[in-house]
Amino acid sequence: MTTLAHIPQLLVYGIISGSIISLGGIGVSLTYSILGFSNFAHGDFMALGAYIALGLFTLFTGLGITNAPFGPLSFGFGFVLAFILAIALTAIAVILIDRLLFRRLRRSGPVILMMSSIGVALGLRNILQFFWSPQPHYYSQAIQPAVSLGVLNIRIKPDELFIIALAVVLVIVVHAFMRYTKMGKAMRAMADNATLAQVTGINTDRVIIWTWVIGAGLAATAGILAGIENKFITPELGWQMLLSIFAGVVLGGIGNPYGAILGGMVIGISEEVSTAFISTGYKPAVAFVIMIIMLLVKPTGLLGRKD
Amino acid sequence: MSLLTVEKVTSGYGDMEVLHEVSIAVDSQEIVTIIGPNGAGKSTLMKTIFGLLKPKSGRISFSDHEISALSADRIVRLGMAYVPQVENVFPSLTVRENLEMGAFIRSDDFSGRIREMYDLFPILGRRGRQQVGKMSGGERQMVAMARALMLNPQLILLDEPSAALAPNLAEVIFERIEAINDTGVAILIVEQNARQSLSLSDRGYVLASGRNRFTDTGENLLANEEIGQLYLGG
Ligand SMILES: Nc1ncnc2c1ncn2[C@@H]1O[C@H](COP(=O)(O)OP(=O)(O)OP(=O)(O)O)[C@@H](O)[C@H]1O
Ligand SMILES: [Mg+2]
Repeated sequence: MTTLAHIPQLLVYGIISGSIISLGGIGVSLTYSILGFSNFAHGDFMALGAYIALGLFTLFTGLGITNAPFGPLSFGFGFVLAFILAIALTAIAVILIDRLLFRRLRRSGPVILMMSSIGVALGLRNILQFFWSPQPHYYSQAIQPAVSLGVLNIRIKPDELFIIALAVVLVIVVHAFMRYTKMGKAMRAMADNATLAQVTGINTDRVIIWTWVIGAGLAATAGILAGIENKFITPELGWQMLLSIFAGVVLGGIGNPYGAILGGMVIGISEEVSTAFISTGYKPAVAFVIMIIMLLVKPTGLLGRKD
Repeated sequence: MSLLTVEKVTSGYGDMEVLHEVSIAVDSQEIVTIIGPNGAGKSTLMKTIFGLLKPKSGRISFSDHEISALSADRIVRLGMAYVPQVENVFPSLTVRENLEMGAFIRSDDFSGRIREMYDLFPILGRRGRQQVGKMSGGERQMVAMARALMLNPQLILLDEPSAALAPNLAEVIFERIEAINDTGVAILIVEQNARQSLSLSDRGYVLASGRNRFTDTGENLLANEEIGQLYLGG
């Protein structure tokens, strides 16, 4: 095949990876706009979620809980249960980290919070390495055949369709939450103006907890989906994606969760399509270059506001 | 006893003291205006009353509660509301969402209160679904006031409600302030537009360089020649 004939297939890979980057980006964007700092631990929240799912899945398998695959997918009930519980446990862990650390530092300003998030990132990664070693772990070693979509020679695995579908559903759920629920509106209000939110009587501490629940829950989801897509997980999994995630967030307009979704998709697609022209090793550079160009041309991002 | 009492309050930012032993009082259902030149500390006084700045000394009490050490979210629950001088709306939210946020701590049905606000400011009723960030200065001021009224406060603090508004719009705002006061809400206003504000005030205070300078009825302050020259632009 010629290079150009590969592009539709690469586009599909880009959408898959963009789905995962976008889910990660929503949390980074919410943390930035509501808590006011760039959370460098977000990638490691993803890895934490992926490893909690692994631990639970191993436990459930040992307990004899069935994991007979759902239709063409590579996993079944046991894995889905581990997936859901891992989301909840990751959210709880992140809330604990907030109570123990970030909350105490909130008055110290964004730079201190950002630095401490780097500390959290390193700490979490070391904990994961301690318990699971730096070596890769697998959710499943089975090889899933890709099926043809019947157009433009595109082939995709059922698991990958699941990844895209779940990302779409979650984006819609987050959108509905932000748009129509009292807490979602309060999150937008606090992102607009935290002092005014306090003056208005909004329970800002509860808003912060919900911000972490959503951000960490989506991070865990993204981490687990990355594990499904890559076939393995390592403690570095989230950290390695963090540049792409931040690039997506900046591209879309930092602090705007819709921008993070759009930006994440553009970054994912650009990274994959670039491999038709340059070596795969340059993928991170592609994200970085797009981010820098955006910062130079329109620092507020694609969907950013001017104020 | 007054609804709001500020007694010898000293306050400021970090080590910098802006207010020096300032005292004021507002009775139930009164309109009180604070005037003073730029940088006199008027906004600082408002922020200190509402718990955004901690007084270094002195006492603040509101309807029998000592509030000097309380944070803003506690004070709002006691029945006081505050409309800051700037950035007093949530720009990315709609008019209606701004009012809903004003009612955040209410767990009852507050749709009746929203209708009352739309009656008070008919323009807002017609623009309920508009994003506030896209509205004019006068409309934003109305949103900010309506938001602050959602909890049926006993006292509302207004920091320069007519600043940067065209004269006819300022007129509308002052007329609405009187209408709000007629419903029994006490109002503490900080104003540049001092003549208009004093003329509808029961009492007024002149603040200069962070200290009390004069206190009298609104009428007497307006009639006072020295104050007229110094603080009301002749
Ligand atoms: N956030 C801040 N940090 C440090 N100093 C401040 C801050 N806000 C105001 N000041 C200073 O405090 C003093 C009083 O300011 P304040 O805003 O209370 O004046 P004001 O009477 O409201 O004036 P204006 O009529 O211009 O609104 C000024 O010297 C100002 O520079
Ligand atoms: Mg002021």
